[in-house]
Amino acid sequence: MIDLVGYGAFFLTTALIFSLITLGLNLQWGLTGLFNVGLAGFVAIGAYTSALLTTPDDPARLGGLGLPIVVGCLGAMVVGGLAAALTGFATLRLRSDYLAITTFGVAVVVQLVALNAQTLTGGPFGIGFIPRPFGGLAETPLLFNLTNLAIVLAVTLAAYLALEHLAHSPWGRVLKALREDERAAVSLGKSARFYRVQAFAVGGAIMALAGALQAHFIGFIAPDNYLSILTFQVWVMLIVGGSGSNAGAVAGSVLVWAIWAGSGALTSVLFAPEQQARAASLQIVAIGVMLCVILLVRPNGLFGQRPRQVRFGKKAKVIAGESGS
Amino acid sequence: MSLQFIVDGLLAGSMIGLGAIGVTLTYSILRFSNFAHGDFMAWGAYATLVCVGAIGALFGKVAPIAPLSFGWPLILGLIVGMAFTALLALLLDKLLFSRLRRQEQAIIVVMGSFGASMALRSLLEFVFTSRPTYFSRAIQIAMPVGLGIRITPDQIALLFLTAALVLGVHLLTTRTQTGRSMQAMSQNPALARIAGIDVAGVVRVTWVIGAALACVAGVMIGVLVQIRPLMGFDMLLPMFAAAILGGIGSIPGAVVGGLIIGLAEAGAVQLIGAEWRAAVSFIILMAVLIVRPIGLFGVRER
Amino acid sequence: MSETVLDVRDLEAGYEPGVPIVRGASITVDKGEIVVVLGPNGAGKSSLIKAVAGLVPISRGTVLLDGKDITAAPAHTMVRLGLAFVPQTENVFPLMSVEDNLKVACGILERRQAPASIEEMYAMFPDLARQKRSAAGNLSGGQRQMLAVARALIVHPKVLVLDEPSAGLSPKFVAVVFEMLAAIRKSGVTILLVEQNAKAALAIGDRAYVLVEGKERHEGVASTLWDDPVVAELYLGQRPLKREAGGAA
Repeated sequence: MIDLVGYGAFFLTTALIFSLITLGLNLQWGLTGLFNVGLAGFVAIGAYTSALLTTPDDPARLGGLGLPIVVGCLGAMVVGGLAAALTGFATLRLRSDYLAITTFGVAVVVQLVALNAQTLTGGPFGIGFIPRPFGGLAETPLLFNLTNLAIVLAVTLAAYLALEHLAHSPWGRVLKALREDERAAVSLGKSARFYRVQAFAVGGAIMALAGALQAHFIGFIAPDNYLSILTFQVWVMLIVGGSGSNAGAVAGSVLVWAIWAGSGALTSVLFAPEQQARAASLQIVAIGVMLCVILLVRPNGLFGQRPRQVRFGKKAKVIAGESGS
Repeated sequence: MSLQFIVDGLLAGSMIGLGAIGVTLTYSILRFSNFAHGDFMAWGAYATLVCVGAIGALFGKVAPIAPLSFGWPLILGLIVGMAFTALLALLLDKLLFSRLRRQEQAIIVVMGSFGASMALRSLLEFVFTSRPTYFSRAIQIAMPVGLGIRITPDQIALLFLTAALVLGVHLLTTRTQTGRSMQAMSQNPALARIAGIDVAGVVRVTWVIGAALACVAGVMIGVLVQIRPLMGFDMLLPMFAAAILGGIGSIPGAVVGGLIIGLAEAGAVQLIGAEWRAAVSFIILMAVLIVRPIGLFGVRER
Repeated sequence: MSETVLDVRDLEAGYEPGVPIVRGASITVDKGEIVVVLGPNGAGKSSLIKAVAGLVPISRGTVLLDGKDITAAPAHTMVRLGLAFVPQTENVFPLMSVEDNLKVACGILERRQAPASIEEMYAMFPDLARQKRSAAGNLSGGQRQMLAVARALIVHPKVLVLDEPSAGLSPKFVAVVFEMLAAIRKSGVTILLVEQNAKAALAIGDRAYVLVEGKERHEGVASTLWDDPVVAELYLGQRPLKREAGGAA
């Protein structure tokens, strides 16, 4: 029973960290219409920044400043936000596809740095001994798990409330208006771009915060944690929940993580150990197909409230054959 | 610095360029960045591999065509693989992309391609596992050609194949009615329809060309390096960078962009080490986006 | 009088389902005629001919071309059926040469026929012949309009449909374009034309319709229509529209 509560707390903590990333993505995509396919890179930036700031001194690499965890998290948000702002600044005057490609590149480069800049990131083995909040409680796992859950829950709730507030502020309304009409957004020029860079940066900062929280929660990070599969998972979470809705983002994250963890547990029971890598890839195929099916059938997500509007009046292209007489 | 990087760069550039042709065509005619394009490479390479294996099972061991490392089974396998990859692309278009296009939001199609890419890649991992495999394990002796440059017969053959394919596609798109229809579609799809161009036909041709060339690029990687489910995904950033560097919509641009990136990668590998290779495309991509987003041969978007 | 080439009956069409812009319009075009569709802004003139050309979904009514029902034909099959449409703007492929613009339109012709058809267009529009290698995007406004018309004519359509050919042109070019249309008609081409520039259009037209709120309200001989008081009323909308003002189409 106690084990179950402990596992439940662990599961929820992970799911809520995913929720936090999804909330960041929802600000970028759901509210502003900016397509980020490199979000794993921003999460990694946050995790590594906080790790460098808070771990004890290590002669084998740079950093290890031993600062408090809160400073680490704030540092993560600043660096993640800056990275996102730079990315946005370079590409947001161009067609939306270019942002997608650039973010994809950011993730590739972050992965590369994490793997190869040994003196900074510890290389393929990553960074260990990342301080955990209330690490003294680690002797009693249940209490420790519950404390972690409480912290992550508090942060996610704060982010959720802040984002809800932002979405209904004048700032959020401008973003929505810009999303609805990309052409108007482009013609508004610099000021419109500035709004979108801000949204992209805040989204990036939230993702980086999630990365930092996860690092402090697990106590250990490695480049493998931030492969494109992470980006993919978070996208599925947002699309399932319904982009545009913060509550949907959280619900989608918990639901998809439950499916993911559940099917993962199932494959470990059903398949022999040597077959598990294969079974895991089948799991990804299933989720990939699910993403495509949702895009086709319910583009507003399972909890989405409002259809996304057609822009540019492109319906003119509908061929008469489809309407018939 | 050894001049060997020129050969290495031209080869890498050929693979990138062949892939980038598909990327640039998809972008200019279907109007979205196809993140699944790299996976066409991998699927093409595996399809060819399966076909070569099937021929081996039917006819026994076939002697390679001296001095190459491969014989006619690979050539036949490549043709079958190209057809297979083209069919795969058409099927994907029918099931997914054409329906997503009807939602009239380019970025939704991009997202769909991202999901499809993940599914396609993992399906390969499921069937073939993530272990690398090879067309041939024979080691070819590289011939010195002067200036400290060495090249293998396979490499020479593949460079010629690339040149022939690029020339062919260039002629197809500039000198034939099909090519003019493709140009027309990329410049003004509504007017293209009014002018009597069968849009669905142009879309099919676009997929077939892009996918078939992706298959060739995948097989080249397979012959010269190795075959892995991730091989195409790893090519995605260089391909996008090449297409944008060359100017979206321009086929010569995609090839030149691919060669520049290939050469830059090979140079960087010599100077700072192979582990940083992937960063080269990103740096070039950012430089192009900041300095000249329309690329080398691009024209301003309407 | 003579045989009807284009017969549009009770057409209802619009971009959004349930929001028709064209509301039960009926017009006919006879062989060899120039028919002009006039009307105040927002009357649905452009939508009417776009619907005829298969570019706006049709929810009711029929379009007959030489007696054949083309109501449901997809836009890209229209040229093959004999209806060529010239849009108001963006009516050439700007990055392609003049020659390639014409070649791309020859898709429905037999291969051997294409060079002769292109030469025919060059003979008709010497300006285009002089610039055959330059990109269409570099042509002047008037030349661009010529290229757009040549692109449509090259397949010898049964009817040529134009959406405001004078829009955005300087007065000098407006005259050139209308002279060109008059000359094209002389060569035996049937023309349906939507125009804001009523006076110039009526000068070359045979018959005209006045379209108001998506329906034709008046029909008449082009040369006398300009002086018709009913038209002025419909056009300027000074008095509420009366049903009886509608012409018997």
